[in-house]
Amino acid sequence: MPSSLRARSFVTLALLPALLIFLTFGIVPIIWSAYYGFFDWSGLGALKFVGLDNYEMMLQDPIFWRALKNNLILVASAIIGQVPIALLLALLLLKNSMFNRIIRSAVFMPMVLSTVVVGLIWGYIYQPQFGLLNTMLDMLGLDSWVRAWLSDPKVNMYAVSIPINWANIGPYLVIFIAALQNISSEVNDAAKIDGAVGFRKLFYVTLPIIWDTIIVTIILCISGSLKAFDHVIVMTGGGPAQSTELLATYMYNNSFTVYRYGYGSAVSTMIILISALLIGLNYFITKRRS
Amino acid sequence: MKKRFTWVVTLIALISLLAAACSSGSDTGSNEGGSTEKVKLTIWHNFAGDDLRAKAVRGLIDEYKKNNPNVELDAQAIPVDGYRQRLSTVAAGNEMPDVFFVYAGSQSQEFYDAGLLQPITPLAEEYPDWKANFMDGAFDRFEFEEGQIYSAPVGLSATSFLYYNKDLFERYNVTVPTTWTELMTAVKTFNDNGITPIALGNKAPWVAQSTILGSLADRVTGTEWFLKAVKGEASFTDQVFIDALAKFKELVDNKAFQEGANSIDNTQAEQYFIQGNAAMMISGAWTLTNLAASATDEQMAPIEVTTMPAIEGGAGAPGTISGGAGGGFALSKNTEGAVKEAALDLIYAISGPDGQKAIAESNSMVMYKMDLENANVSPLYLKAFNVAKEAGITPVYDAYLSAEAGEAINNGLQEIMMGGKLEDVAKKLQDAQARSTQQ
Repeated sequence: MPSSLRARSFVTLALLPALLIFLTFGIVPIIWSAYYGFFDWSGLGALKFVGLDNYEMMLQDPIFWRALKNNLILVASAIIGQVPIALLLALLLLKNSMFNRIIRSAVFMPMVLSTVVVGLIWGYIYQPQFGLLNTMLDMLGLDSWVRAWLSDPKVNMYAVSIPINWANIGPYLVIFIAALQNISSEVNDAAKIDGAVGFRKLFYVTLPIIWDTIIVTIILCISGSLKAFDHVIVMTGGGPAQSTELLATYMYNNSFTVYRYGYGSAVSTMIILISALLIGLNYFITKRRS
Repeated sequence: MKKRFTWVVTLIALISLLAAACSSGSDTGSNEGGSTEKVKLTIWHNFAGDDLRAKAVRGLIDEYKKNNPNVELDAQAIPVDGYRQRLSTVAAGNEMPDVFFVYAGSQSQEFYDAGLLQPITPLAEEYPDWKANFMDGAFDRFEFEEGQIYSAPVGLSATSFLYYNKDLFERYNVTVPTTWTELMTAVKTFNDNGITPIALGNKAPWVAQSTILGSLADRVTGTEWFLKAVKGEASFTDQVFIDALAKFKELVDNKAFQEGANSIDNTQAEQYFIQGNAAMMISGAWTLTNLAASATDEQMAPIEVTTMPAIEGGAGAPGTISGGAGGGFALSKNTEGAVKEAALDLIYAISGPDGQKAIAESNSMVMYKMDLENANVSPLYLKAFNVAKEAGITPVYDAYLSAEAGEAINNGLQEIMMGGKLEDVAKKLQDAQARSTQQ
């Protein structure tokens, strides 16, 4: 007993610094911003208590709903795009050959680049006059497809989501490769003996084994897409006319461009609530599947 | 929670005060007179870049440092993009530096309202000639009380010069527009010849508002109407403002701007213009600086500068430029005693006659009257400075509107460029401005 107690108190002690840092920089700011969300505050001067007015205003603001819709587009594109592509690449690049390693590094590379660099690169690719994409379409004779990719409100949200997906596939690829390599060779051998090959093996053996990993990546996708900010702020700044506004850029613009700190705090609290809701939803859906 | 924070800040301030008292005490001990007592002074500014103006201002600060060995100067140069936020953050904690650069308009007003500033009037009393030499309206945004000035502008932010490429106008036989009709003719001719009439980079959405709408709307509505609308005595939903927006829409509908203007930034538009792809560009004085830094002499040769064309039947005066005092150095409320003396000296060292000349010689506009014919400035700058001296200055929209209303019209112009309705844009602007005047 005493030795286990000592071990436990050691664990507690060892975890304490990390916990303290997490509390001060992770949890306390969330509580503070939830608190500021009940005030009308410009960041300077006195705080004026307004109760739930900020939330009411938010729900009535069409831009908030547009930002939410854009965020959901990002979530959908991340789940449809990043997870399956990363999984497919992981299956193809599983073996440790030289060629596979090079491709793996290439897929992972954008993750290492600063997001500002990624945003600028794609900004130039989409550039309306001399951008790579429009020039290429011109050369291929697809003149009718040429457009101002980041200005045209019909396509710009999709145009913005492509670089975000492109930049984020890398880590999922690594996670999947690690999960696939963890499948013990006995399972693979047994599958082979039972005649499970190709798709049959994929759907009945491989995927069920790494199902937990897939759920984790989907959760990461959801939370990552909901806090997406940097790529968009570099490429479009949420514009033109707020057509690519996301919840995070909406929050940022309200707090730091228009100086409505109270309202911005309410929006950030809302982002947390929406993330929790979506992740909870995902948890229930995938739980039933397994 | 707030209270506790204040306590901590006060405690830290007390401790540092104590420390300062101790150290200065020992200083005076060793130097009998006490006149060499070290004064600790902090200054924050946003002249952090590599451009000539930023270098000039930093040079002035360095010189002050050299001439005042008794002052321990802590100068923080913060990049422009983060400057407003940084200053707002320390303002919220009431930890302002002694001297700081403040933008004229909504920012200086907000700081004044929050009780963070004290007047620099002692300087004006000490150097009356200096104050008299500023252009009209230089202190409009810094004179919060009768007879008290809170800062002196170190720049004129002229936001709407019409730059044009003389060669392209000659090649296609187009007259440089002095009226709206001539402008529309020019737009059509250039479009027919595959030249972009006006380069615009409106990704950061303030550009179209600051450079084009300010001047354009002033010509239609007149300055008086705008100032009334800001105060809530007229409405942005008035027909006269819709007419002004309609002029902007006319430019959009006639394809005066290049495709995708909303997704390229101002610098890219400047490059597009200087490379001869566009015949005109409506932009501020900053374009002078940017072009001087990046363009070759050959590219610069055909560039001329004038004011935006007059609008027939409009209520505003022609030949004006939208602009205003471009910000200046202000003094924190908390600065007292010897530090305050040193701080005022520092402000004069940057904003005084020598400082103004040094800034002008970095090819950027100042609001201080002087003769630059023999000064070391570029030919295009001299042209622009002389245009600005002659032209009347009309208000820039976002310097007068509340931050929220400024954002509303910025986004509204992008909306118009995407085919939005004028009435909706006007209404959003009016609503946002009304919200801030109510408070």
